[in-house]
Amino acid sequence: MDMIDSLIPDDSGSTPALEPMAMVALDAGRMLMEAGASANSIDEIVAKVARGLGADRVDLRIGYASLAITIGIGPNGITRMREVGHLGVNQRLDQELWHLAARVSLGELSTEQTRAELTRLATKAPRHSAWVMAVAVGLACAAFGRLLKVDWAGTGPVFLAATIGQFFRRELLTRHVNVFICASLVSFVSSLLGGLGAHWAGSGKIDMAMIASILLLVPGVPSVNALNDILEGHPTLGSARAVTVAVILIFVAAGLWFGQVLLDHLY
Amino acid sequence: MNTDFPFLLHQTVCGAIAAAGFGVLFNIGFRSLPWCAASGALALAVRTYCLGLGWNLEAASFAAALTVGAAVQVLRARTDISQNALDVTGCIPMVPGSFAAKAILGMFALTSAGTVDASETLITAVQYALRVTFTIGAIGTGLAIPTLLLRVRVTR
Repeated sequence: MDMIDSLIPDDSGSTPALEPMAMVALDAGRMLMEAGASANSIDEIVAKVARGLGADRVDLRIGYASLAITIGIGPNGITRMREVGHLGVNQRLDQELWHLAARVSLGELSTEQTRAELTRLATKAPRHSAWVMAVAVGLACAAFGRLLKVDWAGTGPVFLAATIGQFFRRELLTRHVNVFICASLVSFVSSLLGGLGAHWAGSGKIDMAMIASILLLVPGVPSVNALNDILEGHPTLGSARAVTVAVILIFVAAGLWFGQVLLDHLY
Repeated sequence: MNTDFPFLLHQTVCGAIAAAGFGVLFNIGFRSLPWCAASGALALAVRTYCLGLGWNLEAASFAAALTVGAAVQVLRARTDISQNALDVTGCIPMVPGSFAAKAILGMFALTSAGTVDASETLITAVQYALRVTFTIGAIGTGLAIPTLLLRVRVTR
């Protein structure tokens, strides 16, 4: 036997199939990442799932748009990669994935059962209705407005503008409009409505009302995650998140600028 | 202390509403929303109190994030909600979105033909941009320190 052959392990067929195990662990990590988790959480979940399914060794590389895993059992090992979709925020899915990973780590589920659970979570994880979400966002932006010293006359218009903006954003994202373009369009509509409403209501803080109306678009979770990732030893992912946050803010500001220009022309 | 109680209460309530509202946007269940509201209220109460003591925004935001991060670490066993969700949602009302918007609008204004006082516009825009960077850095660091110091790997 030459030197190269000695490095290739024998496939005895006695170990569980590594391929489905790797793909299920990657899917759990992908879903968690798309739900807005930080790199350390993804690392922890993927390791729990892979080890719970029988892996001896787990190594994960977390990129902004992909995950790569190497898992091994005894002398056998494979490396697989999985693309990651749009990074949103979905805390109930995050929570469900933690529960699922805990069950898998206790050996309660097989690879196929875990895959079925992941599919169920992806399609059936509960979400708030569009109305509830829009009203909640409206209230949050109105509260932001008060924190930014918008007067009471301007607070009502901020609530309405942000509520409509959230409906508009949901509609655009349902139609798969690019997230950056979506940020600009929603920013334009919300700021214009907030400014017009504040003007009609006799507010003395029209500029701040316009800004408060678009705060639903500020990527708070990605910006905090970016710093967390850098501090926790994932500078590449953290930097990618920070750049994305900066570009979103530029598009949001562009929408606000157009709104201000149009409002100036109207009055 | 220079912060009067009605103002502190106003800021605290607004922080709670903003955090709970964003909790809904982040798809946190209704049962967990009071925890989000409490987290936002705590953040704004500490920040307002520190600002009243004469601290600058960055230092006050750091103290508030540190307090929220530590409180979440202590309470995490009692809540059925991920730590990331609770502390980040609580600190969302402190993210200086308005400063970010003003900084970028200032940069836009610099490039327009009719800029009256370019140097003042530039300085103001850069000041806002720096405050955004430092404040987000302060919030992120404040949240990370308790996690890094007190993190216990438990099965969630």
